[in-house]
Amino acid sequence: MRSLSRRSLLAAAGASLWALPTHAGAKAPRIVSLDYGLSSTLLSLGLAPVGIAGVADWGKWVVEPPLPPGVADVGDALMVNREALTALAPTLILSTPYLDSLTPMLETIAPVLRLSVYDASGGPVLPKAEAATRLLGDHLGRRAEAEAFLERADRHFDTCRAAVRAAGAPPVAVISFLDARHARIYTAPGLFDDTLGRIGMRNAWPRAGQYWGFDTIGIERLTEIDAPGAHLIALEPLPREALPTLSDSPIWSSLSFVRERRFAVLPITLMFGMVNEAMRFAGQMAEYARRVT
Amino acid sequence: MSVSVSLPPFPSRHPAPFAALLLALAGWLAWLTMAPLLAASGPVDSLLLMNSALPRLAVALLAGAALGLSGALFQFVLKNPLASPATLGVSAGANLALVVAMLYAPALMGLGRDVVALAGSGIAAAVVLRLGARRDFSPFVLILAGLIVSLWCGALAAILILMNDRYLAGLFIWGAGSLSQQSWQPVLSLAPKLLVAAVLAGLMLRPLALLEAGDVTASSLGARVPRLRFMAVAIAVVLAALVTSTVGVIGFIGLVAPAIARLTGARRPAAILLWSGVFGAGLLSATDGLVQWMAGGMKDFVPTGAVTAVIGAPLLLALLGGLKARHRPLPAARPQRMAASVERWGRGRWVVLALGFLLLLTLALFVGRAPLTGGWSLPPLPVLDDILALRLPRVVAALSAGAMLAVAGVILQRLTGNELASPEVLGISAGATVGVTVLLFVAAVPTLPLQLLAASLGSLAVLAAIFTLGFGKRFEPERLLMAGVALSALVDAICGVIAVNGDPRAMILLRWMSGSTYSADLTLSLTVLVSGLVLAVAALAMRRWLDILPLGTETASGVGIDLGRSRLLLFLVAGILSGAATLAAGPLSFAGLMGPHIARELGLKRAGSQIVGGALAGAGILVLADWAGRNLAFPYEMPAGLVAALIGTPLLLALIRRG
Repeated sequence: MRSLSRRSLLAAAGASLWALPTHAGAKAPRIVSLDYGLSSTLLSLGLAPVGIAGVADWGKWVVEPPLPPGVADVGDALMVNREALTALAPTLILSTPYLDSLTPMLETIAPVLRLSVYDASGGPVLPKAEAATRLLGDHLGRRAEAEAFLERADRHFDTCRAAVRAAGAPPVAVISFLDARHARIYTAPGLFDDTLGRIGMRNAWPRAGQYWGFDTIGIERLTEIDAPGAHLIALEPLPREALPTLSDSPIWSSLSFVRERRFAVLPITLMFGMVNEAMRFAGQMAEYARRVT
Repeated sequence: MSVSVSLPPFPSRHPAPFAALLLALAGWLAWLTMAPLLAASGPVDSLLLMNSALPRLAVALLAGAALGLSGALFQFVLKNPLASPATLGVSAGANLALVVAMLYAPALMGLGRDVVALAGSGIAAAVVLRLGARRDFSPFVLILAGLIVSLWCGALAAILILMNDRYLAGLFIWGAGSLSQQSWQPVLSLAPKLLVAAVLAGLMLRPLALLEAGDVTASSLGARVPRLRFMAVAIAVVLAALVTSTVGVIGFIGLVAPAIARLTGARRPAAILLWSGVFGAGLLSATDGLVQWMAGGMKDFVPTGAVTAVIGAPLLLALLGGLKARHRPLPAARPQRMAASVERWGRGRWVVLALGFLLLLTLALFVGRAPLTGGWSLPPLPVLDDILALRLPRVVAALSAGAMLAVAGVILQRLTGNELASPEVLGISAGATVGVTVLLFVAAVPTLPLQLLAASLGSLAVLAAIFTLGFGKRFEPERLLMAGVALSALVDAICGVIAVNGDPRAMILLRWMSGSTYSADLTLSLTVLVSGLVLAVAALAMRRWLDILPLGTETASGVGIDLGRSRLLLFLVAGILSGAATLAAGPLSFAGLMGPHIARELGLKRAGSQIVGGALAGAGILVLADWAGRNLAFPYEMPAGLVAALIGTPLLLALIRRG
């Protein structure tokens, strides 16, 4: 809709008057990513986005890779700030099916590349994330970088797999506490479930969930985990009252992984991420397996 | 007080058989859950039975009894069969306090959840009752005030969750009331506190019986009526707060249990209190049994509190059918405030009002934040038309929605003779939300045009339902408004279930409900603007009806107004106005409540000038809220509807108290 000349005029005006960082060599693509997983993938392909959604919470949910300085915040993904987005004069916007309702609006600002990892078609998440990484690489002329990144990931997964095997590959269930009585448990199919499979660990939770890869449960349902020697991993952030309250619960205390101290709290990994997040999770699980044996 | 509200007689002498039946049902449902655990003899099964299933049943019985008792006390003291912890905003107040404490002052939780919850419900109850006191505790005013406080607490809790809790839904669970248990600890801590409160309630039986004889009689008998009322209300608030702090918000038990107690033949205060507790316990445990039994198949997480609301809302509607709300001649003071009176508004004041409004529009269009640096600035000239192209549709949408809601508010307040009536309360906005909810679950891609279509269909469905329900009753305004209350509660509960399950679609829904002009493009906002103008002209054309109807039905009939026809037309205009406005501002803005009040405070008392002044005020509120929402947390946006509700509601309450 908006002509290219208008866009570059806007960018120029922004540069001079609205303190936009200068971008004299306008050859490099100006990419805005609205999804954390796509943002971190972009970084791994050696491209820094000019802006992403949710810069403010990057350190809370994604943590690594670190976000390079100077990446602009375009607000919340479901309510991208249109003024900020327009002023960045992007040449490409990365989006996901979750944000489909925004697509017509986004297309008036820049071409939109929609990559699908979490959608109603279901199925394993990690292969979808790898496919999306290749598509992104192709689209940006970074095929080689994408393949190199995926190879790096494969090597990392193999290293983790070896470490896990050496540690006896214990089955694990992964949860996030919602409060002292409820949790989200990460199910198959899902990023964590697939990653566990990739590094030779078994998800101890026996049931499938919805396509985002989790279910909401009352803590008492953790008794449904019956795999012998199973470990329980809770991801941060941990509600303050959860553990003190649970220590009073006979059910919690009777859970074999609590009784036998096969329970740990680990730093957050983005549960709705892509390959980078799978790598971070794999590394943490391998490290954990090493530590407990 | 000339309002008479009573329940119809019921062919029953004693509540006992009904209570036994209900408890037997609850017992049977509990048995269905527990039988598999009993049959299997593994150590895990007996552990689950002893420390999850049984305490859960106990907590359901306790919480249900407490809520039933609390509702009975409220209804008794306020002489209002619609009073309950949920309808008076007490539960929502407790929930908001818990959310705020968890997010911003976790140290406060060290004092105990109970204290935090109690503070929240205490404040909510005080606000609602102060408003009610000004209107002689008129049942409908009280319930409307309760609804407003509930909605406000819900709005604030929602915005806090939106801004803080990207991926975790823990706070939703308290809002939707889950009874899931892992030990006896909550039961053991709740039981003695409830017992003390119940004993205190028992001690008040005799004085309460005096109250029933009427305030005058009671005073002459030596009972101190205000102190008695205060103590009974305090006990009711404590009971509800304890339940909320233990399991979260459980809707409607406190409303329905006392109603059933009375319907089945409990007459004396002691009997009503006792049987309300029993029915409350039976209702909540039966509902929870049903939830667990059904979840056994799907293994989906369903919060019981939201389910009681889903069941309770239609029950409230059914109770309304039995309510005899005689149309009252308004108290002498009211027509002076509501209807035609001397109005000294020269041209000068209108010019000032219009200029102020233009100034606000200029601010909204031109003042903003520079992207990237975030500094306040005017857009530089080369990008001015680009920036205006982005801002204009949103400002027009906010303006139109605010004005339309306010006009609808003027109509509804004059129709009902009730200063707390508003389109948000009518349930039309809730209908739009239902439409969008359904769309999210049937459409592969819920594009913005589809969302708007679904919202319109939802509003129209509610409108149609209101007319169908209202026709037989000659559009008794209170009945319509209470139907709106029930519908809003229903929508809230359904959204709660979706949100608790952590489905990311809940975020889309939450954003819709929070009322942002984000999705407005120029076509949409101009459409809304034009239809708003047409409808406002229609409302102006009917201003004679609006001047006369508040004087009472007798007066209105006396001057030859066809009550049925005029009310039908006015409701239709108000309904379409609020439906269309919801598309742009969401269901929660309260502009429809505040616009008319501000106009009246400015001295605009005739219907015609109140419509114009109210429209300007309503538009001003939403334009300001939209501007604040776009800029204060830049580049993150706060939805205009929520911002308007947050800033405007305290202002509104202050206005009402002063007025």
